[in-house]
Parts: sequence; structure tokens; C-alpha cells
Amino acid sequence: MSLWIANGLSQDLPPGVVMAGAWQGADLAIWRSGTGRLAAWGDRCPHRGMRLSHGFVRGETLSCIYHGWTYGADGGCQKIPAHPAMVPPAAIKAETYQCVEEGGLIWVAPADTAVDLPDLTGLTPVRSVTLRADRAALTRALPEAVVDGDLWRLAALGVVLALQDRAEGLGLHALCRDPALEVQLSRWLDGLLRLAEQGEAA
Amino acid sequence: MIAQAVLNEWYPVAMAAMVGPWPGRATMLLGSDINVFLQDGAIMVRGPAGDLAVKVAYGHVWACPGTPAHDLFAVPEAAQPGRRLVDCGVVRVKCSPLRAVENFLDIAHFPFVHTDVLGAEPHTEVGRYEVQIREDSDEVWATKVHFYQPQAAKSAAGGIVTEYMYRVAASTAAVLYKTCPNNPDAWDVIGIFVQPLTEELCEVWPWMALFDDSTPQADLIQFQQMIFLQDRSILENQIPRLLPLDPGREIPTQADLTSIAYRRWLKRKGLTYGAQMVAA
Repeated sequence: MSLWIANGLSQDLPPGVVMAGAWQGADLAIWRSGTGRLAAWGDRCPHRGMRLSHGFVRGETLSCIYHGWTYGADGGCQKIPAHPAMVPPAAIKAETYQCVEEGGLIWVAPADTAVDLPDLTGLTPVRSVTLRADRAALTRALPEAVVDGDLWRLAALGVVLALQDRAEGLGLHALCRDPALEVQLSRWLDGLLRLAEQGEAA
Repeated sequence: MIAQAVLNEWYPVAMAAMVGPWPGRATMLLGSDINVFLQDGAIMVRGPAGDLAVKVAYGHVWACPGTPAHDLFAVPEAAQPGRRLVDCGVVRVKCSPLRAVENFLDIAHFPFVHTDVLGAEPHTEVGRYEVQIREDSDEVWATKVHFYQPQAAKSAAGGIVTEYMYRVAASTAAVLYKTCPNNPDAWDVIGIFVQPLTEELCEVWPWMALFDDSTPQADLIQFQQMIFLQDRSILENQIPRLLPLDPGREIPTQADLTSIAYRRWLKRKGLTYGAQMVAA
């Protein structure tokens, strides 16, 4: 099973924005700098444990919203606003993950994991949704899916779903073969959520 | 199993003016259901094992589930002529009661959480201040704290450097004294009384004793509510929810001297309800 987990569509994270992510039960802050550089960190400021995904991006840095502690590309703390003249010790560092983009998706793995991503050539990213049900419910709703780890392929529809376990449910990042079918696929996704979530309730 | 030292402390459980006859206020204290109610003109607090020791002070009802280890802390300013005592209602927060107190003791977050009200960039520096654990009262005190504030209080017209003193009066109650915009010779007094419902859920009662005699009560309350709602957005997003008492789990700086002393004081006294003792 791959250590690389899909964390959303590239197009949903523009420069200067931070969002919450997840890697196998670990909460993440994923952000894109002003120049477009992407990074994924543990969602916790080392100072007082505040979620960095609530922080703000300025240029090439991410700052914690609690006390403004500011971190650079490598996760190292560059600035502590309460002590403007102080150079922060190197030990103050966010927990870093590997984060790359491939096939229009954002992928995250633990630091130092070799890059080994599925081939998504010819696919167009469409939409990310959250299913409030588990994989068993999704299997019942999509019995025809060919399952390869977190990648579910629906050959007849020309659809690929990259799955992501999140605290609030199951993330589904959808791609399709025919860009002309984007709107239909988006509607199909809404129907899929209803079907799988109803199955869960029954 | 809750430590005896925890049970022997005083905790706020209600606003005194709001207490009615049985069942009164049905709430929780340290994970147990309690009722705060009025009976024959007296306020009672009843838990699963019987009635608790009760005190009424500073507009609030205080209860002790065990045998009180000491008297309730004193705030002499509450009796000072000319002060307005303002109860500010309650804010429920999904966090450790200890995290709520620690946040109250913190100034460095003002420019980022209470932006343009209690602080603003670039005025972010926290100068050196003094912290001590006073042996006579067994309280944590921080003094000579100075901070630039765009609107320090409802009655402040513009930016000023405010001087603060902070005081941990009990494990879940703290009081601050700050320069009063209307009266340079006196201090505004603001408290937070935190009711520990469980280790990860609390209700926060802000309380004020001010010399501000012109601002309408509703505006004072609204100002304080706004501040605490901003704090809540932080408190409900700290990981872990419990307050870590082991050094190393979180990294403090010189600006956090009050928090460091508070954590040390809690640990030394065994007041660890809402604390994380071992790094996860």
C-alpha cells in the first residue's frame, strides 16, 4: 500500500492559502507560498499546540494565528513576534512531510519517502468531496470499482477516485478521462454520496 | 480517580443572580452532575454524594466537592467604592479549563487574536516582566507587564501602552489588573472564573470591577464577549486539548514566564485535572 495520500486538488489551493489535510490519522496543515511552493506540516505549532492550518501565509512563510510564530519553507521558525530581535533556536521546527503535485492532485507522504505516485496521465481533476461513511459503504455503492489501494477506477465511466481517510469521513478526489463530462461527473458524485450515506444509515 | 487536592479547591459553578429554585442550574463539576439551586433564600449545590460546600463571591457561586483546603481567594477591589461590578455571562469552551486560564495570562497573542483591539502589528514585542509565586498567598503573580494596545478597553479612545498585573488566584480562576483609561491612579480589575465541567470542557465566566461609569452595561458585556469568542477560536484548536505539564512537549519563550510558572505551580500542588502529565 502506497504511503502517498491524496490531499485535494491542486486548483483548490491557490498561492497564499493554507488548508487542513490528513495523513493516516495525522492532522496536517498544507499551504502554498506566494511564489507557488507547496508544503505539508503536522497541524501543530510547537509553541502552544495551535493548529497551523488556522494560520496565515505571507510571502514564503506560514505564521501561526495564535502568537504569529513564523515558519519558512523547511519548517524552521524564522520569527517570534514577541521577541523581534531574537533569532529563534533551530530546534523550533514544524513537523514536515513530503508534499508533491501529480496529475492535478496534492500528494502527501512522511518525510524522506521515495516519490512513487500512480500514473494519472490523461485524467482531468474535477472535484473533492467528503463521504460521511466508510469504505464498506462505498464498496456497496460502487460494486463495479476496480480497487487498487486508495485508487478506485470505474472503467465504464472513465472515472478515477483517490481516497483519503479524514477525521470527518472519507475524502474522494475525483478525476475523469473526458473533460467534457466534468459537470455530469460532479452530479454523479452528489448521487454517489447520497447512495453511500443512505446505505450507511439503513 | 480525581486527586484529593483537586477536590479540595473552590470552583465557580453559576452566576449568583441567575440561580432559581430546584432544579436550578443543572450542570457539571469535575465530571459529576450537580444542581445549583435556591432553597429558603440560600444557594445550595447538590452533587451525587450530597451537598457541597458553597460560597457566594464576586457575583458567582463557588463550590468545593471535597474539604476546602483554604478560604476562597480575596479580591479586595470588589468592595472598593465607585467600582462597577459587571458579570459578563458565560462562554462554553471545548478545551481544558487550565488552557482557558493559561490563555487569559498570555499577552503575546493580542496582536494576532484580538487584532486592532488589544494589540496590533508591528507592536508585538513583550518586554521583560517579573513573575513570582508568592509564598504568603500561594498565588502566581506577574507584574510590570507593558503592552501597546489600540483600544485597551471599551472606554479607551485611542492607542496607549497599558500596564498589566496578572494573578493566578486559584487553579481555575485568574484576575488581571490593568491601567484604567479613566483613572490613572487605579487599576481596572478583570477576572475569569473557569468552571471545569470535564477535563476537556469548561465554562468561562468573565467578570469585571471597573471605574468606567459611562459605558452602558450592555456595551461592556458585548466587548468582553467579543474578546472571549476570539479566544475560543484558539482554545478549541489547540492540540492536545489537555494542558501539557511536562516540559518539552511545548516550547515556551521569555514572554511565557507566567504560563511556565502557572504550569509549575499546578504540578507542584497536584492540581492536574485537565492536564496531560506524560508526553503523548
